[in-house]
Amino acid sequence: MIIKFKLNGKDVEFDVLEHKRALDFLRDDMRMTSVKEGCGEGECGACTIILNGKNVNSCMVLAVELDGQEVWTLEGLNEIGDTKIQDAYIEKGAIQCGFCTPGFIMSTKVLLDKNPNPSEEEIKEGLEGNLCRCTGYTKIIEAVKFAARGEK
Amino acid sequence: MFRYYKPHTINELSELKAKYDSKLLSGGTDLMVKMRAKVINPEVVIDTKGLEKEEITFDGSKIRIPLNTTYDDLLSNNEFCDRFPMVVDIIKQIGSPQIRNRATPIGNIGNASPAGDFLLATYLFHGYAEIKPSNKKVRIHQLIDGPGRLRLKPEEFIYSIELKERKGFKYYYEKVGKRNAMNIAIISLGVLVKLDGEIIEEIKIAYGSVGPTVVRFKDIEDGVIGKKFSKELFEELAEKYYERINPITDVRATADYRKKMVKNLMLKSYYNLNKN
Repeated sequence: MIIKFKLNGKDVEFDVLEHKRALDFLRDDMRMTSVKEGCGEGECGACTIILNGKNVNSCMVLAVELDGQEVWTLEGLNEIGDTKIQDAYIEKGAIQCGFCTPGFIMSTKVLLDKNPNPSEEEIKEGLEGNLCRCTGYTKIIEAVKFAARGEK
Repeated sequence: MFRYYKPHTINELSELKAKYDSKLLSGGTDLMVKMRAKVINPEVVIDTKGLEKEEITFDGSKIRIPLNTTYDDLLSNNEFCDRFPMVVDIIKQIGSPQIRNRATPIGNIGNASPAGDFLLATYLFHGYAEIKPSNKKVRIHQLIDGPGRLRLKPEEFIYSIELKERKGFKYYYEKVGKRNAMNIAIISLGVLVKLDGEIIEEIKIAYGSVGPTVVRFKDIEDGVIGKKFSKELFEELAEKYYERINPITDVRATADYRKKMVKNLMLKSYYNLNKN
């Protein structure tokens, strides 16, 4: 089935299998390797993308459902130079193995777009769909606060 | 390997549903996991998002939540948040932001899980479902036939649901699980109570995850109307529910643990309701 959608600001057209997940399609066919498979059941958030302005688990979306929609992955944020959040994660050492990081950054992006100055509690709630097994989260929360304040 | 359809009218959707061994896809947060785990293997997946998305509307004391409305849509609706604070509390404990951005209340009812958090809310808020294409309106608890089973004809589907506002009620809701986010209830309890001074005017009590579907005993509720809101009364209630509820052991908890929690949550509800 042919789908047309906007990926990272650009129009894309692709023939996808009906049973393919958006996760596999974006990662394997579109080569958006920031989109990672962790659990495959919506628990870990490693496959988080931004779909029409909202963070969603791409393992729970069919590729065909992207038709007519707007999708952002971390690659897109890099391309347009929107690296404020990434820079904050690096600055605060909120990255260890890095596997969960793209998902965290996409959730952080949606959180800060909606709420530019979140409290610690709001940060925890905004990121509760993303799991990290290395950092203990303290540095991640610091990074989000750092990104929110817009410090360089 | 299923085929995918995205019909644009109620009739098209209904015909597809009657013709194939199918599952409806709206949010997909349960469907995608179950298909991947091969728990279910439908021949056809019908995406309901091809139907025009209607707005959430209010009519007097009722809210109408149409097909394809997500939990996030509800949480973004100020009027809903003002008028249904208990349901807001329940929704905030469902999944994670990513899940709430996709998952739908109607999907939760469609799953008919005994642990269905929103399903529990519909038992407390006089929930009705509008069924298409027959245009029937039925009480949601009468739709539920057991875990994962709905009393619907092959061509029928839930098109919208209606909840009734509970003005002047105090509420208590607790979902017991192993962590905060992404939690499936081990047991949950929702209590709504309306008092006239110290006297109980109305009470609604629903337990989740302790039976084949949400558990509510109208006769026990009716039995306490007109009585004084007191610790003693809630101790009596705790005993009554303890006697009558027979949960099962599953991956999340043992039957014995659940049974103790049936009692303890009821006592806890007294202290919480008494506070506010």
